[in-house]
Amino acid sequence: MSVQVVGRDLERLEGLWEGGLSDAYSSYLEAVAGFEPAAQPRLALAAALVEVGIRLQGLGGRAAAPPTLLVGDLCLARSARLLADAAPRAVQVAFARAVEEMASAAASGRSAPNIRELLMGAFEAR
Amino acid sequence: MIAKRLRFETRHATEFVDITDRLRDEVRRAGMRIGRIHLQSLHTTLGLAVNENEPLLLRDFKSLLERLAPANAGYEHDDFARRFDIALDEPVNGHAHCRQLLLTGFATLLVEEGELVLGQWQSVFAVELDGPRHRQLAIQLDGDFVDEAPQRRSDGSESLIELELARQLLVDPEPVAKPMRRLVEAGGKRMRPKLLLLTAGIGPRSEPVRAAALAAAVELLHNATLIHDDYVDESTHRRGRPTVAAAEGPERAVAVGDYYFAKATRLIAEIGHGGVTSTIAEALEAICAAQIDDVALRGAFPGDHDSYLRVVRGKTAALFAAACASGALLSEASPEIVEALRRYGELVGVAFQMADDMVDFSPSSGKPVGLDIRQRVLSLPLIYAAEDRIVGPEVRRLLAGSLGDAEVGRVAELVTSSDALNRVRVEAQALVDAAVHELEKVELDGLRPTLIGLAHSAVDRLS
Repeated sequence: MSVQVVGRDLERLEGLWEGGLSDAYSSYLEAVAGFEPAAQPRLALAAALVEVGIRLQGLGGRAAAPPTLLVGDLCLARSARLLADAAPRAVQVAFARAVEEMASAAASGRSAPNIRELLMGAFEAR
Repeated sequence: MIAKRLRFETRHATEFVDITDRLRDEVRRAGMRIGRIHLQSLHTTLGLAVNENEPLLLRDFKSLLERLAPANAGYEHDDFARRFDIALDEPVNGHAHCRQLLLTGFATLLVEEGELVLGQWQSVFAVELDGPRHRQLAIQLDGDFVDEAPQRRSDGSESLIELELARQLLVDPEPVAKPMRRLVEAGGKRMRPKLLLLTAGIGPRSEPVRAAALAAAVELLHNATLIHDDYVDESTHRRGRPTVAAAEGPERAVAVGDYYFAKATRLIAEIGHGGVTSTIAEALEAICAAQIDDVALRGAFPGDHDSYLRVVRGKTAALFAAACASGALLSEASPEIVEALRRYGELVGVAFQMADDMVDFSPSSGKPVGLDIRQRVLSLPLIYAAEDRIVGPEVRRLLAGSLGDAEVGRVAELVTSSDALNRVRVEAQALVDAAVHELEKVELDGLRPTLIGLAHSAVDRLS
């Protein structure tokens, strides 16, 4: 069931599925178990896209080459759209704060927090 | 005051083009109640006249002009051997200049109760004396409009945007706030937030502070995408200041872009309007997808018209459309109004990008000429120049090779010498007209003149 819904939301990002997105997605499924069943795959995918997106961009490390950065941007944008469609407002806000924290740490040269922990925590904000 | 250009094509050497209905349309669209419409020919062989539109009388006028200043009467202006710096395609048209001297190049017409003040038999003519040609008249509408209150309201709200932007940047960590402040304070046209604020005044629920917060978030989002774009395009300057990537490195550019991308989406979510959040999220996705297409198309530079429109609709117009729709949604306007404004925003957004493309060929723009060529950025004037029968082969050959200063300069010269810029200008103006037409389909509570003014300002750089 989950993969069917995810497939439609993966347009232009299909190539990432086997490259780590699938694993990240699976890791979030448990964290979204308390949400409406129809929303769960999209929320897990939203979290996985943030995780993979910032990794692709090289946030906090060496900046990605432009084409890869743009794919990372699309991951973040897709995630924002999935959240707009499927997440309560508090979760949307918590997700945004997680990325702000990661980006702020990267810009300041501080060591970055663990993104997966931040996003798992964001799901509890509802 | 509304300023714009009236463009038309003439078909004959001498021709009386009746522009009365077009002027009436301009007055109606602008919502002018009382005032004046000033016209000025922008050509030395195009005159203006107010007279009767009766076909035989027009033939009389034509005969009169031919008798007073016959063609081939030995005008010194036509003796090219005695003139300097004449163009290769300089026409033999001393008679046309002399005929124009007998007419006028400017006129002022009165407007009362929303109508042109004309006598029963009076029509307004642009008089072609050396056609066929592309022609344009400058027009200015000066007076009282149906409702100027929205404009005044928007002026106040624009200050709210700046205050909100400053406030948001004040609370952010310095490593991200400082580069963003540099970009925001350098200016920018603020088209998206202006459109959002205006459209937020359309529906029954008008909340300027909430609208200003949303408008500031949209501007931050736009700037976040610019920061990443500048890294991708290897741009060194934007708005006259060093880009984040150039000044502080690509790693900082990625972080600052991501921070404000996230912050803007948070501010939008905090507004608490699901329709607005989804509308802007969809636009953001369209921007990112189009940016990928844009870079991919650089392999087939300069591309074609269809690819150009596909990219521009995503890269530029999507956020214009979303800003217009979001403002209307926030104010609880009807679905018909939201959709009309979304279409208006998209049309204005594409026209805005076309005008932006043309700036690359304007030495007076303050930007280095040919930057888009050098960076192989999708540009409609280049696409049209590459299609041109005369300059096209050389443009394509040059673009296929490496682009040093000489090649960039030559391509810019070829574009300027061709009809490409005029084609883009005409196309952008048609989009603005179509955008204005969208506004006529719905009731906009007196906001129409201001939205019309903004649509025209999107392409003001064309003139």
